Amino acid sequence: MTTKNIYKIAYYTYREALSRKIFLTFFGISTFVLVVFGLIFLFSGIEDLISFTQVEAGERIDLIEKIVDVLKFSIAAPLYGVGLFLAIFAASSFIPNMLEKGSIDVLLSKPISRNQVIWGKFLGGLYIVLVNIAYLVIGIWFLIGLKFGNWDPSFLMVIPTVTFTFAVLYSLIILVGILTQSSILAMMLSYLIFMIFSPVLLGREEIAILIDNKFVEYLLDALYYLTPKTAELASITTDMATGDFSFDYMPFITSAAFMILSLGLSIFIFSKKDY
Amino acid sequence: MYSVEVQSINKIYETAFRKRRVQALNDFSIKVEKGSIFGLLGPNGAGKTTLVKILLGITFPTTGTATVLGHDISNYKLKSKVGYLPENHKFPPYLNGGDVIKYAASLSGYEPPNLEQKVDELLSLVKMLEWKNMKVKKYSKGMMQRLGLAQAMINDPELVILDEPTDGVDPIGRKEIRDVLIDLKNQGKTIFLNSHLLSEVELITDNVAILNKGNLVHQGNVQELTTSKEKFKIKFASELKEELKSENFNKYQIEQMEEDTVLFKLNDVEELNNLIDDLRKAQLFIVSIEPLKSSLEDMFISLIKNSDK
Repeated sequence: MTTKNIYKIAYYTYREALSRKIFLTFFGISTFVLVVFGLIFLFSGIEDLISFTQVEAGERIDLIEKIVDVLKFSIAAPLYGVGLFLAIFAASSFIPNMLEKGSIDVLLSKPISRNQVIWGKFLGGLYIVLVNIAYLVIGIWFLIGLKFGNWDPSFLMVIPTVTFTFAVLYSLIILVGILTQSSILAMMLSYLIFMIFSPVLLGREEIAILIDNKFVEYLLDALYYLTPKTAELASITTDMATGDFSFDYMPFITSAAFMILSLGLSIFIFSKKDY
Repeated sequence: MYSVEVQSINKIYETAFRKRRVQALNDFSIKVEKGSIFGLLGPNGAGKTTLVKILLGITFPTTGTATVLGHDISNYKLKSKVGYLPENHKFPPYLNGGDVIKYAASLSGYEPPNLEQKVDELLSLVKMLEWKNMKVKKYSKGMMQRLGLAQAMINDPELVILDEPTDGVDPIGRKEIRDVLIDLKNQGKTIFLNSHLLSEVELITDNVAILNKGNLVHQGNVQELTTSKEKFKIKFASELKEELKSENFNKYQIEQMEEDTVLFKLNDVEELNNLIDDLRKAQLFIVSIEPLKSSLEDMFISLIKNSDK
């Protein structure tokens, strides 16, 4: 019953997302990218790519791998940035829309608990991002495999890392949505963390040296460990895409803790609130 | 057997930092009989919608308890047997009429094999079948009300709670909605009606509760409420001004006299019987005796004014 209720809410969140057109646009862009890569691979041979470089025959295999890595990186890096930007934009209104007077009354009058509603909203949003990212990443991976015979599955790790980063930011969107019912605020806060806070806090040690103040140093440290580490997750994503798994797990763990805390708070507040 | 039992519910809304407190419900208790049509009446801001929201777990009571269909209101599963039409409801705008009914069925855990057929039946009942495939964002207010009523019935509920169901509906539509509600009652379902359209409530409800500023002003049978216990209109076979001026009738208070009809104001039914005896002794031929009825609206205004004093 619980799982079924969560599924129902997730399903209607998915339908809401589809109605927004933004995910369909993303799907269209992904298809366009796949078609462009497909055509390039179809009409240009490996020799054309290698001929750009003056290399010995023995270095040929290494070079192909390098070309593949560059390709993977050039897909993973913009996918992380643009994909998350669009996903935040599209998902920021899920909760405020649900909480609108008239809509929330219909929803809460049904035999579904409030925590099931939040889980459904969370998983529904996650699902559509996962499907979109997976479509593009698996498509590119497949084209690279066909063209270069490189079937290294590490590129597929882009799917869970981008989805995980979205899940962390989406948990914040849900919390802000429940607290303020404002999609603009939820979106702004997510962009603030994604584009400003996280990259700036990544360089907190340099900032602390410049300012030379213990309090600021502690403050930056606290902010760093408390907020999602989207900047590190971005470099982890591109590293994993090219097969480099020698990264620090701390950004994952602290970001996951942030997500659990945000979701827990969201469920607690939503369960107590009058509508 | 009661479908709804509310015991001493208090609801206080507080703004941030407790700067302002509003007592929406004050020690409120009611019982709604199973299989009846119950009307909850009150002026705007009386606390009607708050009570309905408390019953459905949309809002929480500050103190007090309530049961719906024998279950404590904290049990969200009880809502599988409840249909609800909120005031100013909104459905996902990307759905069409048929999808909205399926949406309500799905969230209510109602998934019969003939769902499509049930959807068509309900849409047909509320005269919305021809708009089944139109997106609800294009619906008018009246169409939304009809659709809202249909979605409230999809899970075959034992209790249907309707908040201003005829709001924005034309007179013909109102009559059709009334017929639907009477039909539901005949099927043994309980209807809990929240409305300020007193003339309509009067036509279909069995019992009413009148609420003012969070307090229960009156609860009872509509018939009893609107029937005056003091005034009786007696119609005679002929005009009888002179006869009633005789000594025998001096003890009775006559409020109004029009040709063959006289309006008496009496203390009780016993006095009415004495009057009838005297009229018969005087060999006056009585055609009919009718207790004077006030409209529910008159009674409502009178009760609200008294409670405001």
